[in-house]
Amino acid sequence: MRIVVCICQVPDIASVVTVVDGRIDLSRLSWVMNPYDEYAVEEAVRLKELLPGSEVTVMTATEESGRDLLRKALAMGADRAFELLSSSLEDSFQIASVLSGAIRERYADALPDLVLCGRESFDHQNAAVPAMLAGMLGIAFTGPVTAISASGEIVEFERETESGIECLQAAYPLVVSAEKGLNIPRKTGIRQVMEARKKPIETISVSQPPASLLRLQGVVPVSAEKNCRFAINARELAGLLLRDGCIPKGEE
Amino acid sequence: MGQYYLVYLELRNGAIAKSSIDVWNRFQELAACIDDRMYGFAAGPAAEGAFDVLQGNGTIYHAAGSRSGSASDVAVCAMLEELACRHGVTGIALASTAMGRRLAPLLSGRLRAALLSGCREFGGPDEACSRFIHSGSVIASYMPASAITVFLQGRELVSPDFCAAERPQIEVFDAAPYLDAGIDVLFRPVMHSSQGRDIAEASVIVAGGRGMGSPEAFGLLEELAALFGGSVGASRSAVDEGWRPHGEQIGQTGKRVAPDLYIACGISGALQHLAGIAAARIVVAVNSDPDAPIFGAADYGIVGDVRIVLPELIAAVRDLLTKK
Ligand SMILES: Cc1cc2nc3c(=O)[nH]c(=O)nc-3n(C[C@H](O)[C@H](O)[C@H](O)COP(=O)(O)OP(=O)(O)OC[C@H]3O[C@@H](n4cnc5c(N)ncnc54)[C@H](O)[C@@H]3O)c2cc1C
Repeated sequence: MRIVVCICQVPDIASVVTVVDGRIDLSRLSWVMNPYDEYAVEEAVRLKELLPGSEVTVMTATEESGRDLLRKALAMGADRAFELLSSSLEDSFQIASVLSGAIRERYADALPDLVLCGRESFDHQNAAVPAMLAGMLGIAFTGPVTAISASGEIVEFERETESGIECLQAAYPLVVSAEKGLNIPRKTGIRQVMEARKKPIETISVSQPPASLLRLQGVVPVSAEKNCRFAINARELAGLLLRDGCIPKGEE
Repeated sequence: MGQYYLVYLELRNGAIAKSSIDVWNRFQELAACIDDRMYGFAAGPAAEGAFDVLQGNGTIYHAAGSRSGSASDVAVCAMLEELACRHGVTGIALASTAMGRRLAPLLSGRLRAALLSGCREFGGPDEACSRFIHSGSVIASYMPASAITVFLQGRELVSPDFCAAERPQIEVFDAAPYLDAGIDVLFRPVMHSSQGRDIAEASVIVAGGRGMGSPEAFGLLEELAALFGGSVGASRSAVDEGWRPHGEQIGQTGKRVAPDLYIACGISGALQHLAGIAAARIVVAVNSDPDAPIFGAADYGIVGDVRIVLPELIAAVRDLLTKK
């Protein structure tokens, strides 16, 4: 099976995002692989281990170097990597366009069987790239999945709906996004990191992605900090909730 | 020229989802100008009178023939595209349900239409939308720069009270040409296990963390939630312990929720958890540790053991409910 995993890096949640002069200051952040993408890479590598002859390719669309990120995916077990350097990546549409362009180019004869993504990126949280990518490639999208079992011809997966878990079957090719609960990503050691150095990373420069559909107008920092009023007991708390209209009105 | 809006009305067991009705109402309010037009689209079997819940004028297309449940995303997307083109629609709106979250970006990519989601304020498809990014630590505002806008409405926006004497007109939409053309007709349902209500749509959530101590203790939370007509949620630790299903997890790797009332019990308030409740209105925390970070994000708090405080709170709320 030919698998492509699309990954990105995000600021580590422990590093605080600050706003300087009306813009997000990214300079003092430490970066990690988007946690949802770790589930996607892990699942791809597990499928490869299960279905001999499979190949896992990772791709990242990025404005700056994505090599550290790609090396981590290679250490987890991916076979080769593409760094898609783009002059502008302002919204999900541009990112999906760059990824679909690269996939179409690399897989000109036949699309990959599976394209795996994370559910969403931790920074912009749009959860849009996977479905957009599917639409652009003209293949189906499963939505975020919590379980996959795949054979060479067919894939069964589970996804959450408002009313419970839905288990579905589909044929390839398919775009799948990884939800938490899909797996527990492996840790990589020195040996895997050394082996990853021998694996190929190719850089492709995208000079003119299509224009973005969204224009960022401004950012303001918000503080989650609230002024907590402590109640001395449950009765007082219930009273406060009643005052705020949180307790449903009785029959009369 | 006026704005032409198309609202996707999700049918669940023959009835229109409450969250879709909210979207319809919001766009009815927006479409107040004489030149504005409203369209709706629903796919799948609808119960007798299912559309009676919708007020205001406009036309609703109903593709009854498509097999709902398995109504393929691609087919629904193609039908929405067709209607958008036929009427020169400027804004397509969907509720942020599991299906809406798949369809909206699909439509956005296919129509090259800007996608606005998670908006906290919204004046119309040609106005800026502000939303949380970076785990709720920053609010960013975005301006759509495309002819059509796709709008995904979640609970971040308070649902409007819309009332009108008019009723929309219902028209049959022939789904047949779209069904076999769908590329994901191969999606075959294998099974469906149901759990309670979805927390993403709940107006009151009572959530428990590791501090609940056991899966059995969540019975207290269910009891309290039932009094409010709400749902039970969980921290990641409670889910990873196997006490609750992942569908109930709130936070960065769970659901982002926007209830009117959020009661966090035995939850420490890690950043990854708080990221899921940035849009909650009133936050209440019950925790035995007075220094737990959750109190910093709460409007009201009680320092105490959940095993003692919760039964008291249940009794106190029940008292108020019966006294009224
Ligand atoms: C990449 C990543 C993603 C994550 N995503 C999420 C996410 O989506 N959602 C999420 O919730 N977490 C997430 N986490 C985990 C998060 O960092 C915390 O570990 C988790 O939220 C802690 O859960 P908790 O508050 O239930 O448990 P703890 O941190 O163990 O807190 C338990 C709390 O209960 C209190 N307590 C104990 N006993 C009692 C008692 N008898 N009565 C009252 N209070 C009591 C304690 O004082 C303590 O404050 C993520 C972490 C990572 C690294």
